[in-house]
Amino acid sequence: MSSPLCFFSSLTLSFNHRHSMFCTKTTAFPNPPPINNQNKEEKEETKSKLQTKMASLKKKKRNPKPSCFIRRSNLSKGPASRAVRFHLLSSARRQSPLLIVDQSSSYMVGLSAGEKHFIQGGIAQDLRLDGRKRLTHRPIYVETGIIPQAHGLARVRLGATDVIASVKAELGKPSTLQPDKGKIAIYVDCSPTAAPMFEGRGGEELSTELSVALERCLLGGKSGAGAGIDPTSLVVVEGKVCWDLYIDGLVISSDGNLLDALAAAIKAALSNTGIPKVDVAAETTGDEQPEVNISDEEFLQFDTTGIPVIVTLTKVGKHYIVDATSEEESQMSSAVSISVNRKGHVCGLTKRGGAGLDPSIILDMISVAKHVSEQLINKLDSEIAAAEASEE
Amino acid sequence: MRGLQLPLNQTQRIRLQRAFEKLQSLSSKANSDASVTVADTIPVNYEDAFLKGHGTTDLNGELVATVCGVVERINKLVYVRGLRARYKPEVGDIVVGRVIEVAQKRWRLEINFNQDAVLMLSSMNMPDGIQRRRTALDELNMRGIFEENDVVCAEVRNFQHDGSLQLQARSQKYGKLEKGQLLIIDPYLVKKSKLHFHHLEQFGIDLILGRNGFVWVGEHVETRDKLCRIANAVRVLSTLGFSMDADLIVETVELSSSLKIDIHDMLGSEFHVLVAEQEAERRSLMGKRRR
Repeated sequence: MSSPLCFFSSLTLSFNHRHSMFCTKTTAFPNPPPINNQNKEEKEETKSKLQTKMASLKKKKRNPKPSCFIRRSNLSKGPASRAVRFHLLSSARRQSPLLIVDQSSSYMVGLSAGEKHFIQGGIAQDLRLDGRKRLTHRPIYVETGIIPQAHGLARVRLGATDVIASVKAELGKPSTLQPDKGKIAIYVDCSPTAAPMFEGRGGEELSTELSVALERCLLGGKSGAGAGIDPTSLVVVEGKVCWDLYIDGLVISSDGNLLDALAAAIKAALSNTGIPKVDVAAETTGDEQPEVNISDEEFLQFDTTGIPVIVTLTKVGKHYIVDATSEEESQMSSAVSISVNRKGHVCGLTKRGGAGLDPSIILDMISVAKHVSEQLINKLDSEIAAAEASEE
Repeated sequence: MRGLQLPLNQTQRIRLQRAFEKLQSLSSKANSDASVTVADTIPVNYEDAFLKGHGTTDLNGELVATVCGVVERINKLVYVRGLRARYKPEVGDIVVGRVIEVAQKRWRLEINFNQDAVLMLSSMNMPDGIQRRRTALDELNMRGIFEENDVVCAEVRNFQHDGSLQLQARSQKYGKLEKGQLLIIDPYLVKKSKLHFHHLEQFGIDLILGRNGFVWVGEHVETRDKLCRIANAVRVLSTLGFSMDADLIVETVELSSSLKIDIHDMLGSEFHVLVAEQEAERRSLMGKRRR
């Protein structure tokens, strides 16, 4: 197995989504292990250790078992035997938005050799199975505000892929390190009804991978810089009271391209979100918790123009396609998901798949993704506006 | 109207609704009161002796339906035929299946039924075409004929004692299907007809409407765009819930090419509405011709 080309990235971990854990501990957010606090010599040491390990890995033919340089925090779950996650430590860049995850492709129904050949031939000729061109999306269908209990909700259908994103806000205490910012957590669940392989705990691996990728793209770095959602807008009383946003994604039906659909659903859900207005009782001194009065009537809307969308480019043979169905994904050699915002800036990058990619290909993919994302953002915004209009 | 997952704007919604209403009025059968939903009482003369069939139950002395469907009466048997049920095979049906397993002297195929169908090695023509006894060597070379995940066209031969199907593929027209795409639609949309293999001359494409809801669109010569058009036509008709018919599919494809609709736009809302309207027109014309 050829090792993927890696960009060093800061650690990212999966964590159990439990509200209590999130509110009380400040370590709930992805916290790099103490290795980042080492001094320069130790960093050089780990770097060289890493390089020798990488070199020895390339010689090994079978799947490398997790060895000493692969760090997993105590919070992450044990990976399935087939997936090997490389958590690489960054020396200088703690907030780089790159993440490399290697996961074997998983699809439901097999395809005969003739069908596979047909799919690959179609992609090479720019005419896919349903007549789309390589860079055409399936029609997107957005519904918002279906459930009244959530503060914001959206359902996005991309062909047969069906996902729901919900936003719930609760009052909590901001972390002591960042007293002027609220907290946001994203968690994705792959429902067992989506695909037979998600039965029982089969969907957990994919769920954590999707959650982590979305957090990378939308939440920015550790200090909150570069986030799509501005956490400073979530604070109520600095240092004392802030809003905690829980964004939950649910995959109801899976036909490829889950990441794009989830990002679109989160964007739609956030534009549908109304945070209740809070009246703070004046005259609070010292460490007392101020009394807050949550109004039922007035709501504050989010500004979602800064939220990026994700464009996944799947490489099949020599060409890349946008918005692959699950049949096309089964033929992929690798896939790169790039998150681009309205200004055309890249907010995050994720590479999946076992095949290595030349760096020039990745740069080309980024420019293609930027080009595709313009149309996607416009289409998505108009669909969201139409959905909100029809909801009223 | 089923919950169509199409982004329709207001005018399209109205047009689609009108087309469906027209179709419903045209297709009203004489015994429209024969359709029942769950817990409806079935109108039966309790004096006569009758047999309670599938989909019925005795509740408080009355015969009540347990599924949504149409009441059928055959001699003394009264049963409810479900409309959107799983595929119900009959002997002689042509089905398209996917090989799941290569077992001892047989292949197991998945055909959208409760159980896997079985295709015996002896029910399959040998590649050399000679009629002979299957030897152990033939058994070892089974993978040379069909492998796992291959798409196969066969005919239902009989039912086993445990309810599973046995298939046979003894004619030239049956066998492995290559170079094309397999579409999965609801089985009730494919009605029994004289012809299930269609070779569309004007497109150079094979169309096999399997009765189990597996539709194969395959190409002879390199005609990929026509193939995609036909596949999209099948998808549109299945979304709208119309019965599959080769003529209908060809008409839909011709409608799309005459209106110069892009292949991918065939899956958009506008084309769905157009197809529904055209079908309503066609059926009303047929009805007028009969009178």
